[in-house]
Amino acid sequence: MPEQKITLTINDDGAITAKTSGFKGESCLEALDELLNLEGVVSNVKKTDEYHQEQTQHTNRVQSLKGKS
Amino acid sequence: MSAVIKTVTPFVIEEMLMEALQAVGAEPVKITVSNLQTVSHRGGLVVGDILTNRSDYYGPQHFRLEGDRWILRHDSSEMNGRISNRLAEKHYSRVGRFLEEVGSAYEVAYQGYLARTAEQERIRLEEERKARVEATRQQAIAKARSQGYSVKETTNSKGQIQLVLTRMV
Repeated sequence: MPEQKITLTINDDGAITAKTSGFKGESCLEALDELLNLEGVVSNVKKTDEYHQEQTQHTNRVQSLKGKS
Repeated sequence: MSAVIKTVTPFVIEEMLMEALQAVGAEPVKITVSNLQTVSHRGGLVVGDILTNRSDYYGPQHFRLEGDRWILRHDSSEMNGRISNRLAEKHYSRVGRFLEEVGSAYEVAYQGYLARTAEQERIRLEEERKARVEATRQQAIAKARSQGYSVKETTNSKGQIQLVLTRMV
């Protein structure tokens, strides 16, 4: 059974950096959106090489979610 | 004829004025309902006035809030000017000189006030920041648990809160 993992780092000002692994394709962003309500608060999204690979682990970084408190 | 004048320091903060009057030995006393009748002044006093230990023909010279400033009320000719200091060591100085002294002491008090308020503001902002971080943490944990993640909390090398969320699918 595959494991989905999200690592959230809460910065000193309350912003969040999120890193995912174990998700397929866009599902990592969907999972983050469900978890953090990303609409209008994402300042930077960096998709890794893994993101584009099917049936493999996907890693996504969502940085500095300003205003998420 | 030409002239150069310097106006007195605007005394706008009561707390600073009281501090300045203390510093110059003017022994300030605030007029309240309870002590209003115990002090006589030919021009009359009102609750809120700040008495000094300087007196003249009319009675104790005092500050009164007029608009946004505290103004010293006194006999313009300073007739019978005297100090009613119990220690009687201080000599009466002209009003202009007295206001200069109070102005200098007020400036010192004001600088201290600015430093204190800056520190209070810094503390307030820091508390707000901590509360924001804590609220973010609690929200993230609650939401993660409701979505079936197990949550492990750690702190990274920068001292930031790190939440590791995992679930099996």
